[in-house]
Amino acid sequence: MIKAKHILLVVILAVSAWALWPPRAGDDAVIRLGARRPGAEAEAARRPYHIRMAPGLYLPGTMPGNVGKPLAGLLDVAEKFEELYPDTYVEFVGTPAVREWLVTQLAAGLAPDILNVNVEDVWQDVQKGWYVPLDAYLDRPSPFAKPGEPGSKQWWDVFKYQAITRGKAAPDGKSYCISYDMVETGIFYNKDILERLGLGLPKDWVEFLAMQKRLAEAGYVPLLVELGPMSDWGVDLIFDQLYAPILDGIDLVKDPVREPYLQGYLDWDEICFLYRKGFFTRKDPRWVELWRILKAWRQYWNRDISTADMMRLFVTQRGAMYWSASWTVQQLARDPDIPFRWGVFYLPPIPASYSPYADGHDMCVIGGSAMQYVVTNTAFSDTGDPATSERLKRAVAFLQFLTVPENADRVINEVLSMLPNVKGVEPHPELQPFDDFLKRPYTTTKWSFTFDMRFNEILVRMLDLYLNDGIAEDDYLAWTERNLRFAVETTVRRKKVDFDALQRTWDALAPARRHMKGLPDGAR
Amino acid sequence: MRRRRDMLLHGVLGFIVFLTMVPFVFVLNNSLRTNMEMYHSFFGLPGSVENLARFTWYRLAGRQDEIRLRRAPPEGAAGAETRAADLPVETIGYAQAMGRLWDDLTCGYRYAWKVLRPYMVNTLLVCVATAIGVVAIGSVSGYVFARYRFPGSRALFVAVLSLMIIPGVLTLVPSFLLVKQLGLLNSYWVLILPYVAGGQVFAIFLFKGFFDGLPEELFESARLDGAGHLALYWHIVLPLSKQVIAVVGVMTILGTWNNFLWPFITNADAQYHVVASGLYLMGQSPASNNFSTMFAAYVLSSVPLLVLFIYATQPFMRGVTSGAFKA
Amino acid sequence: MARGRLQAVARNLGCYALLAPTFLMLAVFCFVPFVWAFTTSFYAYEIGGESAFVGLANYGEYLGDPTFLSSFTNLLFLTLFSVFVNVVFPFGVAKLIFSLSSERARYAYRIIFLVPIVVPGVAVLMIWGGLIYGDNGLVNEVLRLVGLGAWTRGWLSAPDTVLWAVACIGFPFAGGINILIYYAGLSSIPESVHEAAQLDGASGLRKFFAIDVPLVLSQIKLLVILTVIGVIQGFQGMFILTRGGPGFASMVPGLWMYFNAFSFQRMGYACAIGVVLFLIILVLTVLNLKYFRSAEDVQAAT
Repeated sequence: MIKAKHILLVVILAVSAWALWPPRAGDDAVIRLGARRPGAEAEAARRPYHIRMAPGLYLPGTMPGNVGKPLAGLLDVAEKFEELYPDTYVEFVGTPAVREWLVTQLAAGLAPDILNVNVEDVWQDVQKGWYVPLDAYLDRPSPFAKPGEPGSKQWWDVFKYQAITRGKAAPDGKSYCISYDMVETGIFYNKDILERLGLGLPKDWVEFLAMQKRLAEAGYVPLLVELGPMSDWGVDLIFDQLYAPILDGIDLVKDPVREPYLQGYLDWDEICFLYRKGFFTRKDPRWVELWRILKAWRQYWNRDISTADMMRLFVTQRGAMYWSASWTVQQLARDPDIPFRWGVFYLPPIPASYSPYADGHDMCVIGGSAMQYVVTNTAFSDTGDPATSERLKRAVAFLQFLTVPENADRVINEVLSMLPNVKGVEPHPELQPFDDFLKRPYTTTKWSFTFDMRFNEILVRMLDLYLNDGIAEDDYLAWTERNLRFAVETTVRRKKVDFDALQRTWDALAPARRHMKGLPDGAR
Repeated sequence: MRRRRDMLLHGVLGFIVFLTMVPFVFVLNNSLRTNMEMYHSFFGLPGSVENLARFTWYRLAGRQDEIRLRRAPPEGAAGAETRAADLPVETIGYAQAMGRLWDDLTCGYRYAWKVLRPYMVNTLLVCVATAIGVVAIGSVSGYVFARYRFPGSRALFVAVLSLMIIPGVLTLVPSFLLVKQLGLLNSYWVLILPYVAGGQVFAIFLFKGFFDGLPEELFESARLDGAGHLALYWHIVLPLSKQVIAVVGVMTILGTWNNFLWPFITNADAQYHVVASGLYLMGQSPASNNFSTMFAAYVLSSVPLLVLFIYATQPFMRGVTSGAFKA
Repeated sequence: MARGRLQAVARNLGCYALLAPTFLMLAVFCFVPFVWAFTTSFYAYEIGGESAFVGLANYGEYLGDPTFLSSFTNLLFLTLFSVFVNVVFPFGVAKLIFSLSSERARYAYRIIFLVPIVVPGVAVLMIWGGLIYGDNGLVNEVLRLVGLGAWTRGWLSAPDTVLWAVACIGFPFAGGINILIYYAGLSSIPESVHEAAQLDGASGLRKFFAIDVPLVLSQIKLLVILTVIGVIQGFQGMFILTRGGPGFASMVPGLWMYFNAFSFQRMGYACAIGVVLFLIILVLTVLNLKYFRSAEDVQAAT
């Protein structure tokens, strides 16, 4: 007996079949977090080399900032590449922002061949053989550079920001990534609100705090910033303000490859050594000062810094300033419904009048490379040996192809977010302020990339509690000490730090430290 | 007296129903609104629906010239840089207005479906395969345990049941290492086989309990007619167990549908993700700020189970009431 | 005697063959990981790295782990809360439904309360996390609407409210099959018992506690043990909503195990945490079996 239910079932099955059918080749680029070009699957079967790339921001089919059309730049570039290499098929995949996922995939040998990841994360695992050093390719010419053009002598030469790019070499001396583009953070501010209150841009920290106070009194949230960025950028910037003055006395290792750009960067071995000398503990006055400055600043942030939607608050003009990075420009510039004018400025320096340990030098830069493409061990999985792998050659060739100026222009400038790192490719004019920020000196260290994930997790969580009055300052400092001790012990065990060499340099720098104040006891 | 008590009960129950449904009503409502609408106010009907109703009224009332919408931004780069406030409001035709309003209304759904479609296919595949596997293996094993006596049958049965005690949390890490060694990562098998292995335990338990209750005469008469083991199983046992199959099938599908962690950690390629892990990935991606898309995704992800629900509830509830869960 | 057994086995080879798939899968996917978990917990094993035997060091470290105390207090709170909520609310609603006089109305309500299970668990968590507990979410907006704007906060990001917020997800806890289970229990109480109680002059509420509750006790026990096991090993919700934050205010052992395994790459240590959780579940189950169950219930609930 046929009931209404059964007819409904047939209808439902028909609709489902229609809905679940794969889209035709002519449709918009397939929009999911993994994009295989529709209709190209038959193609793919015929080609022996499948390169999978996780391009990060430029994933085809996504709409960065939720404005504009889905991206298609990389698909065009891939098509051109496949014409040149008929035995290769390039596929783009998305990766979750969750770090655990990456680790499991790399361990299983399943990660994409080309991956976008902050290269400092790579440095922690170089001893596991998960990544391919690219120096051999960078030192040789790029096959796609015409004679006389940048790249015809060495692939290195195609990159615009030479110092930053070369500065990305790992402490073991090898380069594991190419920096495709540049990003920098900046404080976006609502020009209309500031004008209405008669406020100008602050020249130093004291003015900055005063300005935020005025904004708070007027009923706005002075500064919108999420916990993640603050625990990374905020900590590093203020750390640099407090520790750069004594860098001459504590910079123990000067890496010839990276030094010209990094100018005194503290790597994990130096940090381990300094920790054992009493730095970064409760006995270190600058360390204590760092957290106090953050805590004193916290009152001007949004009350909820973990789950609130900062973009919404900025766009609806409940917040006056938004500390974000150049990727936000895409949404701000292209969203037609934004009713106010906005500008960008950088954090002002901390003067000696605010803190005895600061000297008022300009705030450093913590950004730099945005998309850092590394080649993983999957790329040489066809023969198991990087020296003989054909597939690896194709993967590197694709990277080189991406750095051809017209291709880089197609991909990077499709989004209004990053500054191209390829000579001959100009960024969008709206991104000019960030270009200026990039000219500042580099940060002293990047805490989030010095130790392992466990250190970061605990640091961020405890900072969250501390900033939200969940624990007292003493308890917080005790926590960071314990956390740092565990991380230092793990690192020493994993990486075998040479303390003797560091001790010798330390002794040699004693005269430099003699007149410095604000050092932990016994650290002269 | 009865009427009054019933009214009171209806009142209380109705209130509880209301509380339960509130989140879902909001999700449904918000899936039809645009992001800007939601930015500015949490409550409110979808603007497109209001306009749809209003314009239809104007059309019927002959006030066509009052159908006004902002001009659409031009295509391409020029459109990207034009402010909405700079575009004039103008009178447009009814059909055109309807088209644009419909676009606004469904833009969340269209984008969400584009992202979810492959996940949906995967999930259906995995769920159906798992359910079939669990029912097949579970019913066979339950039948063997129930109706046949052989050495060690009791011990083996207790062994099977005792594996129900092993918590998933203990075996999560070793299972991952195991499937990595077996080379199953990043495929459909890694999603189906462990589920079948785990789900069959409960299925065996339920099937055995049910088969135990079947009267012996049923089998006697069939055996006298010369039916072999396979015929007994196929023609007699299976038709009678529709309810238990429904219960086992529905619970397996529910469990598989909702399982998020395992597909998440065992699949590198978005190609093999299922709806549950796909939704989480969407929530982590830049699309998470696209509220209309996210809410539309939640609605769409509920549709298949809703369909299952419409057709499987009756046998399922009969199975539950008749004693599948009787303790 | 042995030959007799061997003959019995040979005769029943068919049975063993039919059971083979079951046991093969159980062996590979349940038994092997189970054993591995124990052995790995005695090693310090880093994925892609070295593996060293450390004996009980992982367990010792876990006892001193900074998250140990907070994880287990959170777990205790969540377990008790969930048990209370999963026993009282569905049972109460089932009783209310059962007391209706119209069979159609009873059926309709049972269906209505079953509807929320069509929404996938992940979606429910994300809905509650974003739509309801968000900064501009339902709770805060309603508070602002009625003028209590000062009470708004990030429910999932403030250390003192996060655990309560996570526990209250699913309010009013009436969706799903729990109601059906209780309803089945209630409907299996013979009418004669009710009539006898009526004759003895028992009133509504007393009747409820004297008759309904004891006779549905086996369902209650079943749901209690299922809820407890579910809460102890479930960390999906925490993972999606709070990742254990802020600080460690909502950390649970399962989630810390996950982080240690897949984020910090300390597989041995993670397995040790898993074993500790398993032992807790085992103890609870054994206690349940020994003290609260009759022989019949043993078969039903293992």
